Amino acid sequence: MAGDKVIFACKGLSKAFGGLRAVDGVDLEVREGELRALIGPNGAGKSTFFNLVTGQLRRDRGEVYFNGHRIDGLAPYQVMRKGIARTFQITSTFRRLTALENVQVALFVHHQRHLNPLALFVPGHKSMAEQALHLLEQVGLADSAHKPAGVLSYGDQKRLELAIALASEPRLLLLDEPTAGMAPTERREAMALIARIARERGLTLLFTEHDMDVVFGYAERITVMHQGKVLVEGLPEEVRASPEVQRVYLGEHG
Amino acid sequence: MDWLAENTPRIVVQLLSGLSVGVLLFLVSSGLSLIFGVSRVVNFAHGALYMVGAYLAYTIMRLAPGSGPYFWLALLGAPLGVALLGLLVEVLFLRRIYQAEHIYQLLLTIAIAFIIGDTVRTIWGAENRSVTRPDFLTATIPILGQAFPSYNLVILGLGPVVLGALWWVFYRTRWGMLVRAATWDRDMLGALGVNTPLVYSTVFVFGAWLAGLGGALVAPIQGLSPGMDASVIILAFVAVVIGGLGSFFGTLVSAVVIGEVQALAVLNPFLRQYDLVLPFALMALVLIVKPVGLFGRPE
Amino acid sequence: MQGALRKGLVGWRVPVVGVSVLAVVGWVLFLGASLVFPKLAPVFWVQFAIDLFVLTLFGLSLNLLMGYGGMVSFGHAAYYALGAYASALLVKKAGLPMPLAFVLGPFFAAGGAMVFGFFAVRLTAIYFAMLTLAFSQIVFAVVFKWTKFTGGDDGIQGVWPIKALAAPPVSDNYYYFSLGVVLVCALLLYLIVNSPFGYTLRAIRENPRRAEMAGVNVRLHQWVAFVIAGFFAGVAGSLFVFFQGSVNPDYAGVARSTDPLIVALLGGMHNYLGPAVGALLYKIIFFYVGRQFPFLWQLIVGIILLGVILLFPGGIMGAITERRWRRLPFGRRKGVPTVAPGEVETPTGSSVGGGNGGR
Repeated sequence: MAGDKVIFACKGLSKAFGGLRAVDGVDLEVREGELRALIGPNGAGKSTFFNLVTGQLRRDRGEVYFNGHRIDGLAPYQVMRKGIARTFQITSTFRRLTALENVQVALFVHHQRHLNPLALFVPGHKSMAEQALHLLEQVGLADSAHKPAGVLSYGDQKRLELAIALASEPRLLLLDEPTAGMAPTERREAMALIARIARERGLTLLFTEHDMDVVFGYAERITVMHQGKVLVEGLPEEVRASPEVQRVYLGEHG
Repeated sequence: MDWLAENTPRIVVQLLSGLSVGVLLFLVSSGLSLIFGVSRVVNFAHGALYMVGAYLAYTIMRLAPGSGPYFWLALLGAPLGVALLGLLVEVLFLRRIYQAEHIYQLLLTIAIAFIIGDTVRTIWGAENRSVTRPDFLTATIPILGQAFPSYNLVILGLGPVVLGALWWVFYRTRWGMLVRAATWDRDMLGALGVNTPLVYSTVFVFGAWLAGLGGALVAPIQGLSPGMDASVIILAFVAVVIGGLGSFFGTLVSAVVIGEVQALAVLNPFLRQYDLVLPFALMALVLIVKPVGLFGRPE
Repeated sequence: MQGALRKGLVGWRVPVVGVSVLAVVGWVLFLGASLVFPKLAPVFWVQFAIDLFVLTLFGLSLNLLMGYGGMVSFGHAAYYALGAYASALLVKKAGLPMPLAFVLGPFFAAGGAMVFGFFAVRLTAIYFAMLTLAFSQIVFAVVFKWTKFTGGDDGIQGVWPIKALAAPPVSDNYYYFSLGVVLVCALLLYLIVNSPFGYTLRAIRENPRRAEMAGVNVRLHQWVAFVIAGFFAGVAGSLFVFFQGSVNPDYAGVARSTDPLIVALLGGMHNYLGPAVGALLYKIIFFYVGRQFPFLWQLIVGIILLGVILLFPGGIMGAITERRWRRLPFGRRKGVPTVAPGEVETPTGSSVGGGNGGR
């Protein structure tokens, strides 16, 4: 499904906290439309890697390219505006705004209405409500559109996060453990939904995940990180067969 | 250079006097910093507690003006009274809002400050008052030909004593270690199975005691005025914010710096005019350069 | 009403009519009453009303920052004073006519907010509060000490409006002028907090990190909010200076900065009209209680604040809306039974802020 065009790449990306090399010279290339899993034991550096890509953490060394543009050194909001969106491991929404308003805000920002002087006196609740509701429908949250995000169930908050991310019409979606904290059946559903939306929209997906069923069920390619470095990268069957991966994971998961 | 040589004695005396102001400021602001460090509540009522300390000390000292024993009694009794008041405030009000948003905490302590402030003014009256220093501390001591009040020297001497005592409390007692742990990571206390509310209460009471001590010490030199709560709280905040909220060492450094800056400003006619704003300008500058204060940690 | 409209739009229908008719009737009654008010009431109450209008606008402007932006400013009086002093100086020193000075004054306030806000929005929570306080103290010190230019402690006297608006001791015309200015400003602020800009500001209040990850330049957004709030505080200050006929350093004092805070908290900072209701109550309490016991005014305010924070953290409007929605049948909608619209913007009752964390 993936095309030939490399949409996301990083070279020698590194970050150390004190003496700990959390991310240590990572090279990575992701092709457009690809569903790529980033796995590795706890502390392998996956979340740090995400934070480096999105500009939440300042890199020590290395380069990050997206869609032909260099994006390292940009502020998080600038990275997001280039066409990247992300979700968080721990759900992160605007709790006292309704689900609909959550998505509306994301739409405002994407369409540059949030700081447009001409839109300063436009009623916000009407603005882009249709599109927001449509996005909520896509993730199956339309019924909860008027509930404050803070009262939604955990799984629904994850869906809401997805809708917020989609609102910016990203070309690359970074998902940090999209199914963490869900029941096993819920996980399958959630991941199926994400994969379906990604295919429909031709989205490129880079996700971390601990559930190996989810990873091997959906990822087209898998990158394994260990101690801040890329250990192995390849097709799911290659990764499954890799003795190095088994060694790393046997130590961790038994 | 000539000016410097000529004015050296004045400068030295101003430096000393600034240092004693710094020590007093440290007493008040360290309690503020301590309470914030543990409970994350910014206690606007701290200035009011300080004022209560000063008025209690005044009442005790007035029983026998100039008497040494009554002076010591005031230094002992006033802070205890304030600590008791602090206990009351913590148990009745503060305890309910530790989990609330910042804004409610700020406004609640402002409310308490208002209530205590007006109560003090009702009890003791709105006039300025003064109380004589104990007889054995009325003398001045010549330093480089300049007269320096012996009372301020005592405060200067008290500085290291208080600092040593605080160090001992925080690094050598179990309670102190709990407090430090809580300052570092609040959730850790619960995980350790510690009675967290008790730690919060005792910290607040201890902070109040420090404020009371500051107030009691200041009564004989600066006198008492009904607006003293507001002026000290603002200065104490500036000290704590410059040092970095929750950093004890930072508070010490900035309290001394503020004392010195204000004392030295007196020597310059232009700066003297603006001595009231100097601490604020300093704070604005520090915050602009370092948003969490000199020694603060980002949240 | 605002909540009901919002729901009505995307397909959910409730008997909104009852609510909005109530609101329309309320507004008509209010406008009618305020138009005839100066004809019926004694001069004292006309002055009282102007005072109230100014405080309302001041409170609403602060609440853009506090209620909608989650930024607690302890020095909002700085911009109030900048507006007031700028207007007064433009009349007295630059010789501008009053209407022009009145219009220009708030822009100086906005300019000040632009400079101070640039630094303030870089800080979080308590540091933000302290830096705003510091800036207001700096403004206070400058107007207090720069005697030649600002009149120092005495301030500037004799700053009266044009003849059409002035006749001693206070004219009905200045009352209508204030009413009109405050209504227009309140409407503009209402539109702003409900615009895409306002919603984004609320999103930042809820979760700045998430907002940044949605592509919001958080500091820029907060900065713009700060400047807007400063501008409207400046309008309040300019309005007040021509009402009082003088300006003095107290305009920038700490007490002037706590006034709008108290007013917003009292009325409810998560409701647009909260500060207006709070201002009314604050002034009434002051009139009936504070004036009798001027030395106990802070004590009274303190007790009220304590009561509101511990019992009604949503303020008066919070208490009213939550009750109303709970009692009326259409407060509980089909399919969405658990949450009343009143709670959408209000931390729920018992838990003071509900542990949502805030900033």
